[in-house]
Amino acid sequence: MLGRIAWRNVLRNKRRSFILISSIVVGVVALVLTEGFAVGMLQQMLTNQIGTDAGYVQIHKRGYQSDPTLENSMTDPGPVRRLLEKDSTVLDYSERLRVYGLISSAYNSYGVSIVGIVPNEESRITTISKDVTKGTYLSGKPGQILISTSMAEKLKVGLGDKVVIMASQKDGSIGSEACRVAGMFETLNSGFDQSHVYIPIQTARQMLNASGLVSEFVINPKHLHEMNKVVSLIRRSIQALSGASDRNEVLTYEQMLPLLVAQLELYKQALYLIAVLIAFALIFGIIDTMLMSVMERTHEFGVSMAVGMSHGRMFMMVMTEALFLAIAGTAIGLAVSYVVMSQLSHTGWDLSMFSASLRSLGVGSVIYPVIQTSSVIQTVLIIPIAALLGAVYPAMKAVRLQPVEAIRAS
Amino acid sequence: MNTNASEIVRVDNVRKVYSDNGVPVDALRGINMTVLPGDFSVIAGPSGSGKTTLLNIVGTLDKPTEGAVYLDGEDVASKTRRQLADIRLRKIGFVFQAYNLNPVLSALENVEFTMMLRGIDAAERKRKSLALLEELGIGELARKRPNEMSGGQQQRVAIARAISNDPRLVLADEPTANLDSDTAVKLLELMEKLNHEDGITFVFSSHDPQVIGRAHRLLILKDGQIVDDKVNV
Repeated sequence: MLGRIAWRNVLRNKRRSFILISSIVVGVVALVLTEGFAVGMLQQMLTNQIGTDAGYVQIHKRGYQSDPTLENSMTDPGPVRRLLEKDSTVLDYSERLRVYGLISSAYNSYGVSIVGIVPNEESRITTISKDVTKGTYLSGKPGQILISTSMAEKLKVGLGDKVVIMASQKDGSIGSEACRVAGMFETLNSGFDQSHVYIPIQTARQMLNASGLVSEFVINPKHLHEMNKVVSLIRRSIQALSGASDRNEVLTYEQMLPLLVAQLELYKQALYLIAVLIAFALIFGIIDTMLMSVMERTHEFGVSMAVGMSHGRMFMMVMTEALFLAIAGTAIGLAVSYVVMSQLSHTGWDLSMFSASLRSLGVGSVIYPVIQTSSVIQTVLIIPIAALLGAVYPAMKAVRLQPVEAIRAS
Repeated sequence: MNTNASEIVRVDNVRKVYSDNGVPVDALRGINMTVLPGDFSVIAGPSGSGKTTLLNIVGTLDKPTEGAVYLDGEDVASKTRRQLADIRLRKIGFVFQAYNLNPVLSALENVEFTMMLRGIDAAERKRKSLALLEELGIGELARKRPNEMSGGQQQRVAIARAISNDPRLVLADEPTANLDSDTAVKLLELMEKLNHEDGITFVFSSHDPQVIGRAHRLLILKDGQIVDDKVNV
């Protein structure tokens, strides 16, 4: 019955309750959308990084991750290749020979990561073949090079033009190759575009005088949700293969992109702070509304005390009213958020006007928000707690009323 | 202080001083009175004579500055706020001049309210509340909210609420002041009936001659003192 009375009191001043519930709805929607967009954006950064270059899993010679040089590349990749061929949990894999070097045209030179790839393997692993905007993707023919459109602009070269790439060989001498621009790509990450060029792996080996050398195997597992299982299976197989002098390591994208993963986690933590700030704002709204409500009903509280209502019950009644307001606001807010997020998670939010900034972050110009179960749970907990905290002072005010004075209040 | 076991209320030398902008004002000056089971007493007197103050002190809503109030032989001065609320819930029913029903509750729920506070289960309190409303002649108004009822009807609901917990005593502060004389008469007849047939003890504060005329015992209050105490008037 106390709950019924509390609910009717909520409905009693409809305008006031509507305003408070609306402010809770706005808070909830802001909270869920902020988190959805922030996490969506960071996940897009991560997914783009995985899709463009890193893949989900990589196998390196131990030490390559911290010192990616030719000395730390695999000299005998055959057993690993055979293992991956046979492994039923592996969807696709690709091998690469990667080295830092220089790309030069008649006009300019730039430091880049020269990535030797097996074109048909790479096209199944990363999006680079789909990111070609001019010319063609690598066919595997020696002497071809794929550069980004921005790099082409900087080098002032066009399709079919010649560029020279050079890098240090294992013995310290400089190897170089003249390549013709077969195609130009444009990924969602402008920084990546300006620092990566692709050549066929045979061309890379020839330039580096490193026959059979592989820097990394990039693997996409069949089932992403089973990635940990796949990784541990590959790890076991690789360990069984490796000799003492040539130990390899299996790394997940989290291990390869620790900064990005840490950034994602850090941002999720920072969102708690945003949630707390919104909750604080709500607390003051609740205090104001509930205080008004208590002051207006001073006489009624006095009568309730006169007929024997205990202070505990009176306290609970005010708290219940605040809780009802919070539950109503949270429920409506979540429903609105769900509708908005469901729509935006399909269509995305087009931020083309900021595309240059977003590309520098490695995000596309359309952000797809992600509904986070954790943010729903967090909202469901934080908003009612904020409401209850906000109601404590008005409830105490009601409890401290003296019956006679309260009854006299008009 | 020894109290008679049969006394519901004993007021001993009660004094109440208010502060009016720092100036002490004597509202009650040495009041002594008792209420016995079955009483139908009226505290009468002009406005400002201290009737409501005395009723509030007897009803434990206010505390005396000096003196003692015993309810069923117990000194209420030593009680905590929680204990006093419990005493009011179990032993005292209130009828106010302005009815003071909860506006968000129906007539039935208003009557049920005090029973709910006592922890009586929903089915039992509904049964009893309906029976009370029927007894008071407003059974058909059970689902109506206070704003859908006349003053007389609201006061009947207030009486039903006051007696719903079978109190030892009902305190009625100017219960007819807001009613027209016909309604007031009907209401007083109803309370007399409850007093005669159910043995409910009533103490009124009023200066309404219709109320005073029905009193079995009349206490005249003037300037905070009982100047006359007539029995079987």
